[in-house]
Amino acid sequence: SGPARLARLPLARVKALVKADPDVTLASQEAVFVLARATELFVETIAKDAYVYAQQGKRKTLQRKDLDNAIEAIDEFAFLE
Amino acid sequence: MAERPEDLNLPNAVITRIIKEALPDGVNISKEARSAISRAASVFVLYATSCANNFAMKGKRKTLNASDVLSAMEEMEFQRFVAPLKESLEVYRREQKGKKEARKDKDKKTDSEEQDKSREEENDDDDERMEEEEQNEEEEVDN
Repeated sequence: SGPARLARLPLARVKALVKADPDVTLASQEAVFVLARATELFVETIAKDAYVYAQQGKRKTLQRKDLDNAIEAIDEFAFLE
Repeated sequence: MAERPEDLNLPNAVITRIIKEALPDGVNISKEARSAISRAASVFVLYATSCANNFAMKGKRKTLNASDVLSAMEEMEFQRFVAPLKESLEVYRREQKGKKEARKDKDKKTDSEEQDKSREEENDDDDERMEEEEQNEEEEVDN
């Protein structure tokens, strides 16, 4: 996906997640958009990182354990533990 | 019936598409893996929101803005997202500006038609009232 692509994730759903935070008062439309795009980049990243483990296991199907391995191994994913 | 934040999921079809496009052709993804990624994405939004909100509060602002989200990405060690996000934001801003101007032009056109009484031919009495609300830059997230 090119960097200039508009969000594929529906902004309304992302906004619903933002609203779930009791400390958030207001969020601009732009903020919701950037969050949506960031989440898409995150999904791409974690999928690719997990795939490395599938490749190691000589598999062409990404499995749950590949994800678990990626999350454990990569610092940026520590918040998911 | 309050939903737990982690239960607010993002549409499966979109998540799956993003995953498939990120991986080489012929690679599949198990349902469990897809589901786990989807949940991780929701957690990502929640965490990023909380992080971004800290920046807003630091700036004594009540509204979370785009630069707060970008700051959050750096804080979360996703600096490599910042450049592509900035580009996307530019496109988004241009699009929004285009929409606003299109609406303004439509209003202007309607006004001039109403004032132009010197015309012989009958104008379509299109009383086009713009019922839709002017979209604000900031959407309220009421808590």
